[in-house]
Amino acid sequence: MGFFFQELVNGVTMGALYALIALGFSMVYGVLKLLNFAHGDLYMVGAFIGYFVIQWFGGPTAVSIPVPLLLVIMFVLAAVLVGGLGMAIERFAYRPLRNAPRIAPLITAIGISFFLENAALLLFGSQYRVYNTPDFISFSSGLQIGSVSIDSVQIMVLAFSLALMIGLRLLVIRTKLGKQMRAVASDREAAEMLGINVNFTIAATFFLGSALAGMAGVMAGLLFNQVTNTIGFIAGLKAFTAAVVGGIGSLPGAMLGGLLLGIAESFITGYISSTYTNLFVFALLIAVMLVRPRGLVGRVQLQKV
Amino acid sequence: MKKSGILAAVTVLGALVVAGCGSSGSSGTTTTASKTCKASIGFEGPITGPASPVGDEQLHFAELALAMDNTANKTHITLVQGDTQLNPANAVTVTQQFTSNSSIVAVVGPAGSQEVEAVGSLMARAGMGFISGSATNKTLTTGKYPTFFRVVSNDSVQGPQDAHYIIDHLHPKALMIVDDQEVYSTGLVSEMIPVFQAAGIKVDHESVSQKVVDFSSLVAKVTPATTVVVLPWQIAANAQQFGRDLAQQHKKAVIFGTDGLFSPGTFEITGSYVSSFGPDITAIPADASVAATAKAKYGAFGTFGPPIFAATHVIDEAIASVCKAGHTPSRANVLAAIKATSEPTSILGQPIQFDSHGDLVNGKFFLFQINSAGKYQLIPS
Repeated sequence: MGFFFQELVNGVTMGALYALIALGFSMVYGVLKLLNFAHGDLYMVGAFIGYFVIQWFGGPTAVSIPVPLLLVIMFVLAAVLVGGLGMAIERFAYRPLRNAPRIAPLITAIGISFFLENAALLLFGSQYRVYNTPDFISFSSGLQIGSVSIDSVQIMVLAFSLALMIGLRLLVIRTKLGKQMRAVASDREAAEMLGINVNFTIAATFFLGSALAGMAGVMAGLLFNQVTNTIGFIAGLKAFTAAVVGGIGSLPGAMLGGLLLGIAESFITGYISSTYTNLFVFALLIAVMLVRPRGLVGRVQLQKV
Repeated sequence: MKKSGILAAVTVLGALVVAGCGSSGSSGTTTTASKTCKASIGFEGPITGPASPVGDEQLHFAELALAMDNTANKTHITLVQGDTQLNPANAVTVTQQFTSNSSIVAVVGPAGSQEVEAVGSLMARAGMGFISGSATNKTLTTGKYPTFFRVVSNDSVQGPQDAHYIIDHLHPKALMIVDDQEVYSTGLVSEMIPVFQAAGIKVDHESVSQKVVDFSSLVAKVTPATTVVVLPWQIAANAQQFGRDLAQQHKKAVIFGTDGLFSPGTFEITGSYVSSFGPDITAIPADASVAATAKAKYGAFGTFGPPIFAATHVIDEAIASVCKAGHTPSRANVLAAIKATSEPTSILGQPIQFDSHGDLVNGKFFLFQINSAGKYQLIPS
């Protein structure tokens, strides 16, 4: 049983990370019907910001401020800067194409992805940057339940991801901005006629989605230690998959899709073979899509004609 | 092939003697020859992408060798860079650009065995000699790529040698071996597994993509009886993360890595072993000046750069010898001169001579262990 629970913990941690990235992906799709392929690269930028914050405060072996404060600064800076970057991308790359054929912003998104990846290469070089998390967050402060090890970083990632997901859910359901977002996602023109500032709402959505990606990047850096300019590609692909399986445009769907993907990967690696992880995971996901083409919690949208 | 190699060597040597006689007592002839000795070498390596630390180091050492050889030989050889990202498809594109560029007479690289597999036929069709400093898969030198050479030993030497070391010195009853789904890695694994099985060791063979960075699920499969994990990988940062996942789950298995894991500063899990085709040149007295120059110019380096230095030097010398013989440094002439290479010593601390299929004659591997300070210490063979 220990092995089962160890794999479950590993899968849920990975799934929480996927879910966090998928949330931003799904939010943007919800309001703009845009597959933002640059989303994974925003996660990469967030991971770099976390790395440089550690360096600014003395490096992993000689952090000059209390570690909790360091973590707060890492997450806040990543959220604000990556959120701002997301807004800038929306303003200068996507907004001019809002009324263009849907293929145009899609190609632009791919272009932005390459731009960010190569800009990071130019600015930060090609070598791996290493967080060296164990140097400032000890494994020993984690939990050991029987043979199951849950280190402090995993606990932090799980708790923080959960808090962010709940916070986002509350924001969308209970706040004025959330209502505006849902209105724009439902019918942009009608929302505009009702006096909703569509540009502001879309920009805010980009900010929130990008900020989540930025914070996910910091979490990934803390968990996996390594940052380079190419880490966004696979993360973006997995987030896209999670969002589609959950039901693209649906926030609970993105969370569910991310968790399902992470847990499936973990159990297939553990109980079958790491060699066939992607084969089985994607076979499972195809099966889900065949049974529920709109995703696990996606709904058929009726359109009045 | 051997005969043709000897013939080519005799031809080049004869030409050299003739040229030498013609220039005796006349310094002007050398100047004339150097003025006409212009050529370009292509460089294929992962300059960007996940393996870019390897590519960067290789590029730096290629540039260093070229600069030193141009000065020594009074040649005007230039380097044309091609970024493959360790991806066979990119390597094909770069090779097509190189083969269509008539000024390029030979190529240094590519880095990965999978890339050599992809470009070998294209190179052969163009008559372009190419020397890799890190492609070690043994199938590359069966004669199917007649213009391919390497300055490092192949997997059929490294795989069994490493496996026997593990059996004799680490005494595992069970081990996990994880390939990274690339030709380099799967080739080495296929060489090692039969040796382990013959020794009665229980082997759990796993496989993960180079793009995977979360190994927690895989590490959970490391049982208490599994005392060694073999990682013949190309990305050192991934192995570092694997080591951390082992520590996080309180697993005591020792990591035994190969070539790509030789990366001081990136992979530094205490007690791990790394077998490498390249020596630590900072420990070779004859290489002190090259090592110092490289460190001053580019910073710390591992074992991927020096073999590329050696490969570039072989090509530089081949071009220079063709020029000195009074011939045009065409692809065919340079290829013949590469085949005839016989360097009694090299930056790698061993002679460089190729067999009829392009393999290094009497190549060897080097084994290091990482100490608690993260230093790589050579284990005497």
